[in-house]
Amino acid sequence: MARPLRGPGLDSAAGQPTQLLRRMMVIRAFEAALAARPDHGFQLFSAGQEAVAVGLCAALETGDQLLTSGRSIAPALARGLDPGRVMAEILGRVAGPARGKGGRGHLAWPSEGFFGAHAVVGGNLSIAAGVALAFQIEGRRDVVACLFGDGACGAGALHETLNIAALWKLPLLLVCDNNQLSVSTPRSQALAPARLSDLAAPFGIPGATVDGMDVAAVRDAAARFVARARVGDGPALLECVSERFSSHSTATRETRPKDQMAAILARCPIARLAGELQRAGELGSADIAALEGDVAREVALAVAFANASPLPDPAEALTDVG
Amino acid sequence: MSAEPVAGTMKLFFREAIARALREEMQADARVILLGQDVGAFGGSYKEFARLQAQFGPARVRDTPVAEAAMVGLGVGAAAAGLRPLVSITYMDFLMLGLDPLVNYAAKARFKTGGQITVPLVVKTTAGARGQGVAHSQCLEAWMMGVPGLAVVAPSTPADAYGLLKAALRHDGPVLYVDHKRLFPTAGEVPLAETVLPLGRAATRRQGRDVTVVSHSFMTRVALEAAERLATEAISCEVIDLRSLAPLDLDTVASSAARTGALLTLEEGQLTCGIGAEIAFQVREQAGPIRTARVGAAPAPVSSNPVLERAALPDAERVAAAVRRLLDAPPAERP
Repeated sequence: MARPLRGPGLDSAAGQPTQLLRRMMVIRAFEAALAARPDHGFQLFSAGQEAVAVGLCAALETGDQLLTSGRSIAPALARGLDPGRVMAEILGRVAGPARGKGGRGHLAWPSEGFFGAHAVVGGNLSIAAGVALAFQIEGRRDVVACLFGDGACGAGALHETLNIAALWKLPLLLVCDNNQLSVSTPRSQALAPARLSDLAAPFGIPGATVDGMDVAAVRDAAARFVARARVGDGPALLECVSERFSSHSTATRETRPKDQMAAILARCPIARLAGELQRAGELGSADIAALEGDVAREVALAVAFANASPLPDPAEALTDVG
Repeated sequence: MSAEPVAGTMKLFFREAIARALREEMQADARVILLGQDVGAFGGSYKEFARLQAQFGPARVRDTPVAEAAMVGLGVGAAAAGLRPLVSITYMDFLMLGLDPLVNYAAKARFKTGGQITVPLVVKTTAGARGQGVAHSQCLEAWMMGVPGLAVVAPSTPADAYGLLKAALRHDGPVLYVDHKRLFPTAGEVPLAETVLPLGRAATRRQGRDVTVVSHSFMTRVALEAAERLATEAISCEVIDLRSLAPLDLDTVASSAARTGALLTLEEGQLTCGIGAEIAFQVREQAGPIRTARVGAAPAPVSSNPVLERAALPDAERVAAAVRRLLDAPPAERP
């Protein structure tokens, strides 16, 4: 290997419910802080879909790699990337892992286990299979996860990748974050299969559909498939049915009616887990308040870190080409 | 071409030169792998991968399904993760199916990650017409020359095929390597010693005084044939083989054109937004006004019908006629 691809390692408590809750809260607060800035440009947010990213990343280990679609802030933070560096990258500052050159939709920090986002729908699927092929050829025990939206499921890229990954038993977990909308087109009008995970069956690989608003369900399903892939049993397809709380992007108008939005917002994965933990007696309201304060401080620090970093010199438009 | 052996070289067909380059690079570097349709036991459509799977095994020399988009994507991902894959796309027409990972990801990965990820990938394909019809004949090199971050090479001799392929496999960014169907039946002298030919260097194939003819790949042979005919009319052609289209060796072309005072570009692809249009403009920018003309395919699909195929493509007679017209034209005026 020309370059080590080690990751940060989630601490052993990372898969525990309070850590899952905390990570989801950081993502929600991070995106809110970003949305409030006039200089954020154009963003694709994950509000409502935090449980998919956090549940998946809780199942990954240090040396594994995650590739994502352009809706990548939640997966990047869920993978444990430093929020200050991520904020710097999104705001185009040189303290970003790509010196602000990738920005929204192209976050990447491979040495931290986040191989990166790619803002072409379905564009990262075969790339992820290629990373998995490299791992397999090198005899590594690491696994590659690729997160994509339901919008990618109608494209040939998914079907070509499923075929090759199944044929070669690649250490690959394909995770569809099915937020049920391609910009404004409902999934029912774009995709024929009733269950997207059924797409695994013709290729002879396991598939499952879970509630993407339930972080523990996502974590457990992902962990099962990651364990298979790690011992050489090949790829799997996991569908997580989620809800997008805002429009496709900050530049796209919302097309869903208000009463539908109210029902969707009532399914918040963060409120759901917090409520479960409170009912189980694991967290009290004072604990939740303390957690909220802690998260707000972490995000404020991230914003301050990014603000302190300069924009690149225009000469960097011509560096690292080729 | 001399029938006598040349000291320090051996005569190889294109397929042999390609296989030799791959064999040497795969022996030297375990990261080099080969992916493509029928590259394994079959040995490639032109036998250019013959016996590589037997030598290096099915893990490193892999037959793929007919799925160009995923094939290129696999190569791109494997390269980004540290391997050095060569992905074989049988014909250049089919490369269109794999352009997303090549153009949107591979060519931009180093830039968009601030240097964290590089994509040392070679996509090898075969262009050109040889009786196979409208979707198996195209020369699309010009499309790819304008992609920042992507190198494009197209050899016209077995020695260059060998040397350029080795350089491509050692390059740290993505390289599109383009063969030509009509070159596979040809042979040429290749150095016995291991040779790497750097990207971005044109070769002057014939020296001349009156006109510079610049071309690449199979059309270089057509240019040389035209130059032979014109020599009998006391017209002296300098023939430059670009070898590398990106990066482009503009200095070699521009200095020759400035010396001869006339530039004819020759390509098998389309003239509109073609290689000739680009070179003529760049030469003008560097060397000032020079009489220019361009020869390329007719603005029509290339049929498998031999009469229609010949009618659509440049040949030595058309090139010679274009040179005569160019030299009869008045000198270029300063703007």
